[in-house]
Amino acid sequence: MDFNWTHQDSAYRQRIRDFLQSELPANWADIARFGPGSEEQTEFSLQFCPKLADAGLLIPHWPEQWGGAARPPWEHFILGEEMWRVGEFGSDEQKRQYIPEMASGKAIWCQGFSEPNAGSDLASLRTRAVREGDNYVINGQKIWTSYAALAGQCFLLAQTDGPDGGRSGIAIFLVPMDTPGIEVRAIPSLIGHGDIHEVFFTDVCVPASSRLGEEGEGWNIISYALANERVGIPRYEMGTAELDRMVAELKSRGSFSDSVVRARAAEAAAACEAARLLVYRVVDGRARNVPPANEANLARYAVVTAEHLVTDFGMDFLPDSFSERSHLSFLSHHERAIVTGIAAGAAEIQLNLVARRELDLPRGS
Amino acid sequence: MRLDYNEDQTTFLTFLGQMLASSEAEFRAAEDWGRYEYGAALDARLEENGFFDAAAEEELGTVAAAAMTYEVAQKPVAIECGASSLLRPFLGREAPRPLAVVLDDAPGAIRYLPVARTLISVSDKTVRVAELTEGSVSEVESLYAYPMGTVDRKALSWSELDVASDRVRVLWRVATAAELAGVLKGALESVLAYVRERQQFGRPLGSFQAVQHRLSINAIEIEASRMLLLKAAQSLSAEDAALALGYVQKIASRVGYDFHQFMGAMGLTLEHPLHRWTYRARLLRADQGGSSSASLAYASERWGAP
Repeated sequence: MDFNWTHQDSAYRQRIRDFLQSELPANWADIARFGPGSEEQTEFSLQFCPKLADAGLLIPHWPEQWGGAARPPWEHFILGEEMWRVGEFGSDEQKRQYIPEMASGKAIWCQGFSEPNAGSDLASLRTRAVREGDNYVINGQKIWTSYAALAGQCFLLAQTDGPDGGRSGIAIFLVPMDTPGIEVRAIPSLIGHGDIHEVFFTDVCVPASSRLGEEGEGWNIISYALANERVGIPRYEMGTAELDRMVAELKSRGSFSDSVVRARAAEAAAACEAARLLVYRVVDGRARNVPPANEANLARYAVVTAEHLVTDFGMDFLPDSFSERSHLSFLSHHERAIVTGIAAGAAEIQLNLVARRELDLPRGS
Repeated sequence: MRLDYNEDQTTFLTFLGQMLASSEAEFRAAEDWGRYEYGAALDARLEENGFFDAAAEEELGTVAAAAMTYEVAQKPVAIECGASSLLRPFLGREAPRPLAVVLDDAPGAIRYLPVARTLISVSDKTVRVAELTEGSVSEVESLYAYPMGTVDRKALSWSELDVASDRVRVLWRVATAAELAGVLKGALESVLAYVRERQQFGRPLGSFQAVQHRLSINAIEIEASRMLLLKAAQSLSAEDAALALGYVQKIASRVGYDFHQFMGAMGLTLEHPLHRWTYRARLLRADQGGSSSASLAYASERWGAP
């Protein structure tokens, strides 16, 4: 057991820090204020991601043949790994079509998963894809879709086996968002401008070659992708950074000598470190090629708890900062803390999975 | 970064697991419904086989010693392990075990003292040890599921050790965190076994989501405790040790109440072992000033003095 970083890992981290130091603009907090779906941040991302790609920092974990460097999991786990699944399950034609743009940092994708009646119970989704010759015709509705208005492509889940097809009928389609019959409506929300949307599919015709994997394989692919998404973003690191900023602010006001405040800061930090180590267990398993068990479910719940404790600490002891322009990151963090227990599978779904798979508790009747 | 045990640690913990699977480690109601049973025979066999010396061996180290403390604490019999496996190898001299530890001359009864052969006293500046002679310790009746005792501390023959008290405090925080996390894990397993079997409303109690969610949260927090204490065992940094102890002490009370809640009236009896873990946890959660004290120590390490 070794909790230390290797020299290579430390050097890699330093390289990323140096890159961000030189490339992130001074007004980054302003740009990021309204979240990754906002026009401001999207415009920035479309400039920034190609720079990351040029520096070899966008997709270092991808296989070399698709432009990556096949670097080990510890170096890259902060990146959106579900897109890597395209390389795992996709046909050569799909890889040639999509991967270069993703690898160069110019692609924006959205995930067509949730529906009005299929949220936590994702397998009950009802968007239909009906085979007609060499094409599929897609009808249905998606909701809560992040970045749909800006995305060029949609990673879409649809049912191919009729309305009661269940998991075995789910297939994945890679659908260009400019295909006729797709309508996107933004949903005004708490969590950033342009972040969540409704997407309507009316007689959307896509070629059969846009199906990722086989009919019926979709659920396995998506289960894998969600396992990655659950720990894909190192939110404990954001929480830790916010907590340090909050402590710095309290110190500058002379308010960090109170024992209650100090103990609460320590409890929030402890929750962040607990989440960090549980997430590291997931990455450690990947690095050693151990098949994933339930680590991601445990980790995700711990991350949610940590986010809440950090936010509560700030709101309790720096309530005025949540309305000041000088502390935009506190406000953004608070908004994220609400969504973190919902996105990528509700926290309670993680607890169900822990109970059944980790604790071997029986199913309800 | 590598978060599985190395080959030597795996072998060590496998052998330990075999020894702890002995019937000597199982629950038996104590005579006169006493609150604890000291696992003297198992303790002796662990000592004979060198288990308490792991920390001094390079390939095993303090991580294996902390992992051992966590495993031993899961048993319903009490065996003094934390001080023996994590403090003793660093004292710079032989110290007959079992060991008892007192910090800052805290008043009151000391756990393990009635079975201990050495008392270690840690203060701000010094670490001292005294061998305990037969008859010098008075056992104290208590609710805590440990042998508890007092001794006339002034009358003991103390020797000062050439070891930094700060380092011993860090090791003791790690040892206490490991023992408390192990106690909670032992209780969790006991409760899980019960709710998988116990039928109400025609189905197992453990199939109700209200029960599942709370036990899942408890299990996540106990696993987080284990990871935090193992990290602290490797780094032996004051920051990591305070964090690990503060975290597990913070969760201990709520988790313990949940366990009793789901065990129902059976958990109130002395025929079921749950009380053994509950009352060890009760003592450990308050040890060294409890979660608040550990949290303040962490805050000072991380963000500086007030």
